[in-house]
Amino acid sequence: MQRSLFASIALYSAALLLTLFTLAPLVWLLLMSISSPNDLTAVPLNWWPNEVNLSRYGRLMDLNEGSGQRFLGALRNSLLTAGGATLIALIVAVPAAYAFSRRGASLALLFAFLATIMMPPITYVLPLYEIFGGMGALNKTTTLVIVYSAMLLPFATWLMKSNIDVLPVEIEQAAFMEGATTAFTLRRVVLPLALPAIAATCMLSFLVAWDEFFYALIFTSDLSAKTLPVAIADFSAGRVTDYGVIASVGVLATLPPAILAICFQRFIVSGLAAGSVKG
Amino acid sequence: MSAISRSREKWVLLLPAILVLSFITVLPFFQTLWTSFTDAEITAREQQVNWIGLENYIWALTDPDFLDALGRTLYFTVVSVGLEGVLGIAVALLLNQQFRGRMFLRIIIILPWAVPTIVNAVAWRLIYHPDYGALNSLLLQLGLIDSYTSWLGDPDRALNMVILADVWKNFPLVAYIALAAMQTIPGDLLKAAAIEGAGAWKRFRSITLPWIIGPMLVVLILRTIEAFRVFDIIYVMTRGGPSDGTKTASFYVYQEYFSYLRSGSGASYAVLVAGISAVLILAYYAGVRRDQRGA
Amino acid sequence: MMHNMTTHLQSKGSTAVPSTPILSVKNLNKSYGDLKILKDISVSIKEGDFLVLVGPSGCGKSTLLGCIGGLTEVTSGHLRIGGADVTHTDPAKRDIAMVFQSYALFPNMSVAENIGFGLEVRKVPKAQRDEKIKQVAELLKIEPLLDRAPAQLSGGQRQRVAMGRALVRDPKLFLFDEPLSNLDAKLRVTMRTEIKRLHQRLNASIIYVTHDQIEAMTLATKIVVMKDGVIQQVGTPREIYDTPANIFVADFMGSPAMNILDAKVTMDGSVARIEIAREDGQPPLVLHDPAPSAGIVKRQGAALKIGLRPEALTDLGSRAVHADQHFDCLLDVVEPAGSDTFAVIRLGGAEVTARLHGDADVRSGETVPICFDVTKISYFDPQSGERL
Repeated sequence: MQRSLFASIALYSAALLLTLFTLAPLVWLLLMSISSPNDLTAVPLNWWPNEVNLSRYGRLMDLNEGSGQRFLGALRNSLLTAGGATLIALIVAVPAAYAFSRRGASLALLFAFLATIMMPPITYVLPLYEIFGGMGALNKTTTLVIVYSAMLLPFATWLMKSNIDVLPVEIEQAAFMEGATTAFTLRRVVLPLALPAIAATCMLSFLVAWDEFFYALIFTSDLSAKTLPVAIADFSAGRVTDYGVIASVGVLATLPPAILAICFQRFIVSGLAAGSVKG
Repeated sequence: MSAISRSREKWVLLLPAILVLSFITVLPFFQTLWTSFTDAEITAREQQVNWIGLENYIWALTDPDFLDALGRTLYFTVVSVGLEGVLGIAVALLLNQQFRGRMFLRIIIILPWAVPTIVNAVAWRLIYHPDYGALNSLLLQLGLIDSYTSWLGDPDRALNMVILADVWKNFPLVAYIALAAMQTIPGDLLKAAAIEGAGAWKRFRSITLPWIIGPMLVVLILRTIEAFRVFDIIYVMTRGGPSDGTKTASFYVYQEYFSYLRSGSGASYAVLVAGISAVLILAYYAGVRRDQRGA
Repeated sequence: MMHNMTTHLQSKGSTAVPSTPILSVKNLNKSYGDLKILKDISVSIKEGDFLVLVGPSGCGKSTLLGCIGGLTEVTSGHLRIGGADVTHTDPAKRDIAMVFQSYALFPNMSVAENIGFGLEVRKVPKAQRDEKIKQVAELLKIEPLLDRAPAQLSGGQRQRVAMGRALVRDPKLFLFDEPLSNLDAKLRVTMRTEIKRLHQRLNASIIYVTHDQIEAMTLATKIVVMKDGVIQQVGTPREIYDTPANIFVADFMGSPAMNILDAKVTMDGSVARIEIAREDGQPPLVLHDPAPSAGIVKRQGAALKIGLRPEALTDLGSRAVHADQHFDCLLDVVEPAGSDTFAVIRLGGAEVTARLHGDADVRSGETVPICFDVTKISYFDPQSGERL
């Protein structure tokens, strides 16, 4: 169908508007991170920096600087926490997903799993705080890893289950017929076939853990375990006079998920669609 | 494989997951439930904890501050999810058209979703900054305002500003789901309707919308469940202020626990919030069932 | 070499006592809720038997194979393999191998790894494993493919690899689930011959599921015909073909199908007189069966169904013929098929297929003499459909 001129103008205007709405806050965050403090406090603002100032990134990457210590420490904690939780969640989720997909485990139980992550965290946080406090396990990366793996587990199980569902069952039957145990079949046959699904599940789980704030805020108290979101909240709450520093921390914290999201867009979108549309 | 060993194996496979979830979610939930009937407090001292029945609940349901917080949470949820739904469908309709730059737009749309929630909150807080914020500068330079405004300083406006930030981050998810659903509409159906003389609005109302309503319902309920527990964006942008203007239910419970250290009454608030969430969760499953039947 | 392989592959099977059936199924039932898939199945085979389970789709044949293989839990009944009760045993411990319809090759492993999988599971040392894989590959003529991935193979090659995976472990019993149905027509015939040759060479015990009655006839030493979860008949291909137990089996086995006609049977001394109505006011066609079974004598005078294979109705051609058993018939449709010419005749309220000689010079609409061979005639009860 041929579009009228009016329709074309409307279409491209809408597209332009959407692009601006989507990108403007991000571009501004980026610009802030490289503008000089004077540009940022001008009234009205200097939208385009007079000079490119990369010194904040330099300081954030420098362990000898106070802000660098805080940022790099939080980055390390975030990587360990999100990575560890993703790993544990996957190790626990894959056998469970297999039970749901191939061993007739009740779907009501799977829904119960999913219901646990849909409950607000305030329902769980206080008893966990007291238990971990009693064990002297507060402010530890391990504690966060355990809590996060419980948070990631239901969705990972669901995602893996829907992916195992579509694998040809005869291949597993052939393995059993050849004498393989379930564990052997999982490792040697099912996992290699489900590799793309595992990659997608890992990525989504990692992003969710990377984003988590509430538990991290309550369970961590200093550099030894604070994750990036908590560190960023601290940065922004403190009496920082240079807003460019906050902006550059924000840019750095956004880079890993943004790169993952763009490179693996297809995976992520289909994962989200599987998770939210198909229940 | 025999029925017995097969069923035993099923539980072996499920055991780690059940253990993890029991200890991190199920047991704490019941602990919270129990605490909500007591006068427990968070303290380092040995304390006498008394069973006080429904007292906390009676207190909570007659506490105007808590009810206000619930009302604000509801407002936040309804407005932000509503906007995300409308914007998401509009964006999906746009991205479903053929035009230059469509692929570029589809790719960059994912960026707000990828921005961590806390970074989103921080970025918008800077944009809203009363003295040096980009929003003030932009509106002033466009001549839309006469002087800088404290966007988050006004109790009546602050929540709406937070909602804007939340919508910016979360509309891409809704748009992607809507787009995925729209792409399954057979092209012939829309063509046939166009040939029959149905206008764009009529085609949207009678073909596109009914086609995508199932998935939309599910994703919007999911967003509702998430929005209802909103905490982090509030924590960073306003800390519940000004004068409690953005104090949502989760934030209220958080303060009851960790500022006032009243775990008993905090737990009763938490259970009430959980109860409302449970209703939403049931709605979600009903929506999923409906969607799967429709599909 | 080939001889060694053969004896080696046989060694395990021959340890069983010859009189014990290699497989016996007793009163086996399988239901899903109220839905009964298998009803009281009992069947057994001897070592070296090639048993074919045949029937239309949904008859339960694949479910029965699944039960024997241990992939499907039985509802009630007993299964014995090589004398041991395996009703509730893991498939892994039944000493069987299965070739799947979709081949079910492991896509992430090479051909050699696929064939050696069962040995790897059993922790057979690598050197020994490689030796066995090589033997089997030689037997199946797939040595050049050992390093390939399944995705790089043609359908026929995948089929061979799947069989190789089953053969290498030398199990008591082989299960084949419609193994040829994914191949094109020509390859199917080649592989059929190949499977038959393997069976003859290895003297393996095989259970083979198919919906293709030609496969059943050509491969089996013993056929089980199933319908709606019930065994209709068990017998050698010849028995099934010549003396079908009921109209269903008669109709299902053989292509074109057996002609089933209405007829009135009366006794004329010891000879059965079979009267078949014709259309258009022509006088009825009367056949004489000089040796009817005892059951017919009791039912004389009644309306029955009779079954005649298409090859029992033929043109005069070069064949010697009983002078009293041929009649002029109007050929409704003539279908030349090369080696044979099939002609459709309207008789006894049905369309009847006659199998004429390939070089028969006949056309639709012609009336030609057709001779009837009643030596292999079947009689059926018109109500129950059972053989009389």
